[in-house]
Amino acid sequence: MKRNLKLFIMVLPTIAILILFTYIPIVQEIQIAFENYNLYNLSNIYFNGFDNFIAIFTNIDFNFVQIVLNTVLWVVISLIFQFTLGFGLALLLKKPFKGRGIYSGLVFYPWAVSGFAIGLVWAWIFNGQFGLINGILMRLGIINQGIGFLSDPHIALMSVIIVNIWYGIPFFAIMLLAALQSVPEELYEAAKMDGAGRVKRLFNVTVPYIRPTIASTILLRTMWILNFPDIIYAMTDGGPANSTNTLANYMIIKMYSFYNYGQAAAIGFIIMSVLLIFATIYLSALSRLEKGI
Amino acid sequence: MKKVILMVLVFTLLAGIVAFSETITLNFMQVLTSPQRTAWWEQVIKDFETLNPNIKINLISPPYEQADNKLTTTLMGKQPLDIIEVRDYTIKQLVDNGWLTNLTPYIATWSASKTLIPLAWQAAKTVNDTPYMIPQSFFVKALFVRTDVLSKYGIDPNDLKTWQDVLNACQKLYNPSKNQFGWDNRGKNSPFIFPDTLATSFVDNANPNNLYMLPNGQTIFTSSQYKAGWELYIKLFKTSPQDSINWGFDSQVNSFVSGITPILMQDPDTVGLLNTMLDKDQYTVVPLPVGPTGRAYPNYGFNGLGIVSYSQNKQAAWKFIEYASSPEVNAWFNKNYGPLPISSVTYQNDPYFSTGVYSAWAYMMAHPEEYVFSNYPFNSSKWPGWTSIQQADMQSLLLGNVSLDTVLAKWNNYWK
Amino acid sequence: MKILKRFFGSFLKVIALGGYLIFALIPLYWVMVTSFKGPKELYTFPIAFLPKSLNFENYEFLFTFANFGIYFRNSLLVSLGASFGALIVSVLSGYGLSRISSKKLSNGILIGMYLTQMIPGFLLMLPLYLMLSKFSMINNLFVLGIIYIDIVIAFGTIMSKGFFDRIPVSLEEAALIDGCGTLEVLYRIVLPVSLPAIMAIFSFFFVNIWNELFLAVMFLSSNDKMTVPAALNSFISKAGISWGVMSAGLVVALLPTIAVFAFAQKYIIAGLTEGAVKE
Repeated sequence: MKRNLKLFIMVLPTIAILILFTYIPIVQEIQIAFENYNLYNLSNIYFNGFDNFIAIFTNIDFNFVQIVLNTVLWVVISLIFQFTLGFGLALLLKKPFKGRGIYSGLVFYPWAVSGFAIGLVWAWIFNGQFGLINGILMRLGIINQGIGFLSDPHIALMSVIIVNIWYGIPFFAIMLLAALQSVPEELYEAAKMDGAGRVKRLFNVTVPYIRPTIASTILLRTMWILNFPDIIYAMTDGGPANSTNTLANYMIIKMYSFYNYGQAAAIGFIIMSVLLIFATIYLSALSRLEKGI
Repeated sequence: MKKVILMVLVFTLLAGIVAFSETITLNFMQVLTSPQRTAWWEQVIKDFETLNPNIKINLISPPYEQADNKLTTTLMGKQPLDIIEVRDYTIKQLVDNGWLTNLTPYIATWSASKTLIPLAWQAAKTVNDTPYMIPQSFFVKALFVRTDVLSKYGIDPNDLKTWQDVLNACQKLYNPSKNQFGWDNRGKNSPFIFPDTLATSFVDNANPNNLYMLPNGQTIFTSSQYKAGWELYIKLFKTSPQDSINWGFDSQVNSFVSGITPILMQDPDTVGLLNTMLDKDQYTVVPLPVGPTGRAYPNYGFNGLGIVSYSQNKQAAWKFIEYASSPEVNAWFNKNYGPLPISSVTYQNDPYFSTGVYSAWAYMMAHPEEYVFSNYPFNSSKWPGWTSIQQADMQSLLLGNVSLDTVLAKWNNYWK
Repeated sequence: MKILKRFFGSFLKVIALGGYLIFALIPLYWVMVTSFKGPKELYTFPIAFLPKSLNFENYEFLFTFANFGIYFRNSLLVSLGASFGALIVSVLSGYGLSRISSKKLSNGILIGMYLTQMIPGFLLMLPLYLMLSKFSMINNLFVLGIIYIDIVIAFGTIMSKGFFDRIPVSLEEAALIDGCGTLEVLYRIVLPVSLPAIMAIFSFFFVNIWNELFLAVMFLSSNDKMTVPAALNSFISKAGISWGVMSAGLVVALLPTIAVFAFAQKYIIAGLTEGAVKE
C-alpha cells in the first residue's frame, strides 16, 4: 500500500503541470469555440452557440468537405509511409556496421529541424521555376519545363505529404529501434531453431514483442500529424485553391488572417473530437487484438 | 547619533536627486521587423537617448510573420507598452479595441506638423477622421524592369506607359522554351493588390476613398470596365510561369533577379533588396502604368507610430514620435529602409528621393491628375479574411477552374 | 550459394541505406550550399548547384550583426534545462503509472495524457498567454522552460511507461524484498536497463524544445532573451526571406541537435545484455 502511494506521488508532478498549463487553457479555449470572439473587436465577445461551427461547415470560400478529404489523405498517406519506411530503417540499423553511429546521426536529422523552417526550405526546393528538384531533373534532361510541385493543385498535396514523410521517418525509426533493442535474443534463437526464416521471425517474434511500442507510436503520430500545420503553412498556406488545406492549417488561417478566434477554436474542437473518436476506436480495436492472443 | 542623522540626510538627498532625474523607460514594439531595420531603429533610438538622457527606450522586435499577432496579444494582456508601430492593415483593429491614443492635442503643439505631405494626414486620420498615429513610411507600387533583359528584346522601359504596353512587352518576351517569361505574378499573401491595381485603372468612375465601391452605390465588381481590366490581367498571367500561382514576395524577387520575369510591380522597399543582388545598371523603375482612362489608382501602404492608450508615459512617448517624424530623421530612416518619406521638406530639398530609381515615384507624386492615391476598404468589418478569400478565388480563376463572371459575381456578393 | 545470397543481401542493404541517406540529406545539402553563397548567387537561373567559392559572409553576419551567439546560449539553456526537467518528471510518472497496482487508475491517467496530445498546440497559446500575463510571467526564460516541459511530458510519460511495462517486475522483486525503496529500485535497476528508451526520449525532448518557434515568439519580448528559432524567423521580413543568412543560421542551429542525437544514439543502438531474468 505504501508503495502504491509512493508510485502515485511520482505521477503527481506531471498531472499538476498538465492541469495548470494544458487543461485549464483548453477549457477556456473550448468556451471560445462557442463564442463570437474576434480580435478585431474584443469588446464584442458574446455567446453564439453553434454559429461558429455552422459557419465552418458552410463556408463557400474554404470548402469543408475538401479540407476534410485533404486532411484524411494527409494523415493516412503520411502515416503509412512514415511507419513502414521508419520501421525499415530501424531494421536496417539494428545490426551494427561500420560507421553506423555517424550514419544514424545524419539520417535522423530531419527530425532535428524546425518544421516551419524546413517547410520553407522544401518550398524553395520544390519551386516550379528555381527549385532544386526541377534543376536536377532539367540538368538530367528528363524534363525541360519545371514541374509545378506546389502550384499544380493535383500534385501539391502529394508534394507536401512527401515532405511530411521525410520529416516523420526518424521518429518511427528511433522509437522502433529502441524497442527492437529490447527484444531478447533468445526468442530469435528459439525461432531460428524452429526453422523460421527472416520474414517469419519478423512477424512472429519481433512485431508481437514490440507491439505496444508500435501501437502507441502510431496513435501518437496520428494525432501529431493531424495537429501539425507547420509544413503546409510554410509551403503553401493551404493553396493553391484550397488543394492543400487541412483542418489544422485552416485553423491557422482563421487565427492569423481572419483574426477569428471563435471559429479557429471551433475547428480545434472538431479536430479534438475527431481524434477522440479515432483514439477510442483504435484502442478498443487494439484491446480486442490483445485479447485474441 | 550625529552620524546617523548625517547618513539619513545624505540618503534623502541622493534619493531626491535620483527621483528628480528619474529615468523614464519606454517600451517600443516594431512590427515590420528585419535585422537591418532593427539596426536602423536602434540608431534612431540611440541618437534620441543622447538628446534626452532621462528617457530610455526598450525596442521589442518580434519576427515579422508573428509580429501583428504578438502586438495584439501583448496589448490584450496589458503588458507594459508605450509606442507601437501601426500598419494600414491594423490601424482599425487597434483603434476599435481602444488601444491607441488620440494624437490631436500632441499634434497641435508640434511645429513640424505643417511640413507633412497631405498623404500623411490622409493616412494618419484613416479611422474616424482622427489622427491615431503619425505615418513614417509610404509604400506605393511602381514598375521594376530588368533593363538588360528588356534591351535584348528591343523594349524600352519608358515605353511602358499603359497596361496594354506592358502586356505587349510581356507577350514579346514570352518564350517558354527558352525559359523567358514576361510578367512577375503574385500568387499568395495578399495577391489582390496586383490585379486590382491594374483593373481599377480601367474604371472611369473609380472611387478613391473606397476602390471597391463605385459612387453610384454599386460595387466595382459589377463594372464592365473592371472586368475588362481583369481580362487583361489574365492575359498577363499567361506570360508568367504557371508556377507563379503559388508565388509570394520571395519568389517574385527570385524570379526578377534571375531574369525569368523581368517586369515586376512592387513597393519602394524592394530597392534596397535588389541593390544587394543586382548591379545598378541591370534594373530601373518606371512609374506605374495607367489604364485606358489615362489614370491609375495606386493605393498607399503605410506604417507609422502610435501611443498605446494605457501607457503611463505618453508625453515621453510623444517626444520620441516627434523626433522620429522630424524631416531629417525620417529621411535618414527611409533612405536606408527604402520606402517614401513623409515630409515635404525632404521631397523639396533632398535629391535622393527624386533621382535615380526614385524619379519614378517622384513623377507619380507630382502628377496627381494621372495618379490618384486611393484606398481599399481596410476599415470595413468585411476586410479581415478578404485577402485569403480573394487569394483562393484568384488561384481558382487563374487555374481555369472557374469563370471570371462567377468570381466577379461572388465578390460583388461579398462586398455589396 | 549462401555466400552469394549474403552478398546480395548486403548489397541491397547498402542501396537501401544509401537511398534513405540521400533522401534525408537533400534539404541539408541545399541549405549548406546556400549558406556559402554570396547574395548575387542566390537567385540565379539555372540554379547553381555549388557556390562559386566558400563565402563566409553569411556566417559573419550571423554572429556579428545578428547576435546569434546570445540566442544560441539562450536556446541551449532553455532546451537543456527543460529537457532534463521533463525527463525527470516523465520517468517518474512513467514508472509510477507502470507499477501502480490499480490498472484502472493508471489507464485512466494514461488516457488523460493521450487527451492532451489531441489538442492543437496553436489553440493553447492565447489562453495561456492571457493567464500568464496576469501574473507578469511573460518574457521569462524560466517560465518558458516550464511551458516547454508541459508540452512534452505527456509524450514522455506515455513512452517511458511503455518501455517500463516491458521490463519484468521480477527484476525488481529481488531488490524490493531486500528492502530497497521505490526510488532506489528505479534508479539502480530499472533505469540502466531502459537506457536506450531514456536516451531516445531525451533526444526527442531536446529537439522539440530546441526547435519550438511560436511559443518562444509569443512569450519572449526582450532581444537578449530570444531563442534560436525566433532569431531564424526574424530573417523573414516584409522584404522576404534573407536566404543567405537564414541558411547559415539553420546550419548552426542544427549542430546541437545533431550532437544530441549522435550522443543519444550511442545508447539507443548499443544493444543490451538482455536476459538477466528469464521469463
